[in-house]
Amino acid sequence: MMEGQINGHDYDVIVVGSGAGGAMAAYTLTKSGRKVLMLEAGRDYDPKTETPMFKSNFDAPLLGAGNSDKDFGFYDATVDGGWEVPGEPYTKGEGSEFLWWRARMLGGRTNHWGRYSLRFSEHDFKGFSRDGLGADWPFEYWDLAPWYDETEALVGICGTNTGLDDMPDSPEGVLQPPPKPRVPELLVSAAAKKLGIPTAPMHRAVLTRPKDDRQACFYATPCGRGCSIGAAFQTTTSLIPMAQATGLLTVITDAMVKEVNVDEKGKVNALTYIDKKTKQAHRLDAKVIILAASACESARILLNSKSESHPNGLANSSGHVGRNIMDSTGVSYGAHIPALEGRPKYNEDGHTANHLFIPWWGHKVQEKKAMAFPRGYHFEIGSGFRAPSSWVSGDLDGYGKPLKEIAKQAYGSYVGLALRGEMLPNDDCYMEIDEDVKDKWGIPVVKFHWKWSQHELKQVEHGLKTARQILETMGAKFDKPLPKAEDAILKGGQIIHEVGSTRMGDSPTESVTNQWGQTWDCSNLFVMDAGVFASNPHKNCTLTIMTLAMRNSTWLARQLDKGEL
Amino acid sequence: MSLVKRYSSKKPYLASLSRRDAIKWIGALSVTAAFPGLTACSSQALAPQSELAKGHWPQLELPVINATGYGKDPNLIIAPRASWPRTLTAAQLTFIAIFADIVAPREGSVPSASEVKVPDLLDEWVSAPYERQQQDRVSFLHLLAWLDEEARRRFDNLFVDVTASQQLAIIDDIAYKKAMQSEEFVRPAKAFADFRRLVLACFFCSPAGVKDIGYLGNVPIVGDYPGPSDEAMTHLQGVLDELGLTL
Ligand SMILES: Cc1cc2nc3c(=O)[nH]c(=O)nc-3n(C[C@H](O)[C@H](O)[C@H](O)COP(=O)(O)OP(=O)(O)OC[C@H]3O[C@@H](n4cnc5c(N)ncnc54)[C@H](O)[C@@H]3O)c2cc1C
Ligand code: SF4
Repeated sequence: MMEGQINGHDYDVIVVGSGAGGAMAAYTLTKSGRKVLMLEAGRDYDPKTETPMFKSNFDAPLLGAGNSDKDFGFYDATVDGGWEVPGEPYTKGEGSEFLWWRARMLGGRTNHWGRYSLRFSEHDFKGFSRDGLGADWPFEYWDLAPWYDETEALVGICGTNTGLDDMPDSPEGVLQPPPKPRVPELLVSAAAKKLGIPTAPMHRAVLTRPKDDRQACFYATPCGRGCSIGAAFQTTTSLIPMAQATGLLTVITDAMVKEVNVDEKGKVNALTYIDKKTKQAHRLDAKVIILAASACESARILLNSKSESHPNGLANSSGHVGRNIMDSTGVSYGAHIPALEGRPKYNEDGHTANHLFIPWWGHKVQEKKAMAFPRGYHFEIGSGFRAPSSWVSGDLDGYGKPLKEIAKQAYGSYVGLALRGEMLPNDDCYMEIDEDVKDKWGIPVVKFHWKWSQHELKQVEHGLKTARQILETMGAKFDKPLPKAEDAILKGGQIIHEVGSTRMGDSPTESVTNQWGQTWDCSNLFVMDAGVFASNPHKNCTLTIMTLAMRNSTWLARQLDKGEL
Repeated sequence: MSLVKRYSSKKPYLASLSRRDAIKWIGALSVTAAFPGLTACSSQALAPQSELAKGHWPQLELPVINATGYGKDPNLIIAPRASWPRTLTAAQLTFIAIFADIVAPREGSVPSASEVKVPDLLDEWVSAPYERQQQDRVSFLHLLAWLDEEARRRFDNLFVDVTASQQLAIIDDIAYKKAMQSEEFVRPAKAFADFRRLVLACFFCSPAGVKDIGYLGNVPIVGDYPGPSDEAMTHLQGVLDELGLTL
């Protein structure tokens, strides 16, 4: 695009990033009549023409299997991203393992995320008040509830109201009907019920009814490839085109923001980005800037924006930028279920992810202080007659017809339970700038430090035991002892729910932003991604990123109306 | 099972997916002949070097594959099949075709593994410049060489040229769990197990294999997802009854 002619002053707000947070901010602001310029580091991306919806693994190189070029498989929608981005390294402190997923493309990670969309509940916002750990959010569930309503209605979420204490209800008519559960999920549900554990329809950002110009799901193609019909939510088929339709949004792709600049008084007045095509740096004047480059990337921009008035990085007078980073805990535990062997075949694709899941059921026990760990987890269920891939299940033996019989009998008889749990912030988990390493754009890179605490390990230990109990109740036999929590827990960052690097709060000394995502140090600088989370409940973070971005940019628009910024 | 011999050194497997202009039979699957260009370059011998006293295990020096992969932004609509050069020789492909058809033979109207071009997929697989594939390559090429050594030892001929029942006599020693107990077969049996799973995966991914395993998805549904069939629900009810569970 014509960078030369772009003048930041022509826009009310500049948004950095086009993923969940950035696109929702741009949508909300343009809908309220504001001119927005969006800068996106990745390339332009059009799901309508680029999504390999019905392709079979046979058509893909290496049966579609994942590798260092395409971590989640050949057809995964992520382009120019993954655990490694060429020319854009990150480093790790000694003894730290951390994996940082980045999707450098228009729409960011919303093009291929799992679309699990669970509201946080009252418990989740006030963890510190309950158990004295971590931090409370600077508002209550009921402050956010109306914004959840609006976001769910706009995004399109399928699921039901369950009345469970871990799953706040939505108003009548907001949720779309969920798809029917499948056989293995029903079996998990029956086994869990016997153990006193409820299951519920998963809430997913997948349309089961058409909405605006997006179609309803046709229950056939893996959503991780993207959804060209718009049924699986991604900002490239919804919020971005909807914002563009107002005529008030301009998008520049291949624009890697390097730093945010300030005037002599320390107020934000511009930003600098690298045009990846020409490798030229550009400085754009700015009235208001929203960072939504993803939690750790926004924190990186702030830490790299050093000036006389902000020697430790922008908005970092508290020293909290880059601290308090959390991921979800993750463990997978599964088994072959003999009773599911050779079961009758039917089309088990559904919307290609969980129709049922196991929400956290332990709040009451924790209130009585009768659980060995704080905070909760949920289980996602993996199962089904899946499209054949580069892995064949079964206790294979021999060859020929009898061998094929083993594989065919075992098909669809494996059930996996994936734990996703809440992590507490700790002093060993943070990011900083590695002064010695720069990326290919000349921007200093991030160094991660990571260590799980006993809270996470105890939680995982509990989860492993529970998963085993459920699977045993389904008839699975185990001949090995349970793995140790420290061996089973996945690496930091591996669940790709990193949050907290610019957390919000009530006080400028303990937090980076106020409850509106407005940085305490610079009134015209906002953060609207998961960086602002004060805690990381076990529920996947993106619905809440979008809800906060909608709420906070509505507030921002009002401030602009009042001439406050 | 019928013991039809489909391929031999006189009847090589003809690769179809690759752009190979000429298929030349190279001869014995010995280290020098089957792995041309295997000089003393950097050794990639990832083969398990355990201290097994019994049996033999070839020590191949394989050149490093340093082709480039398909990159972070390949065309997903027109997939770049084998953007790296295939590396298997005609001899190895023929060997794999025989092996693949032992693993997944023709059953009535269901084609065999080689009929759905599994050897071509395996060529693409073991030639790929990625970690998992490179590990498989080392393991599988050692297995092929081992099978040849074994065929020479027992029957004084190339594996591809001994009779079908002689081929099976060797395979029988490494294809079953009981083989795990005999020390000399531990390494080949492990490599065989990995190879077998991959051959089956390639086979079940093919259009004929998808049908054979009974995958019914990847077809658009108008309206709501219908959920389990009546038959599937009846079966589930039986399972629940047996386990003493209720929905
Ligand atoms: C496989 C997978 C499954 C997931 N499943 C779920 C799920 O089921 N439920 C859930 O809630 N969450 C899920 N997530 C997480 C979810 O994708 C993220 O939480 C969410 O997308 C974060 O939104 P964001 O806007 O902060 O960041 P992103 O979506 O990552 O967007 C950030 C954008 O900013 C751009 N950017 C970065 N740096 C710069 C810069 N310097 N200048 C300009 N632009 C920049 C990036 O290119 C990117 O497009 C999943 C993630 C993955 C990878
Ligand atoms: S399963 Fe449904 S929502 Fe998912 S990609 Fe396919 S059509 Fe879209």
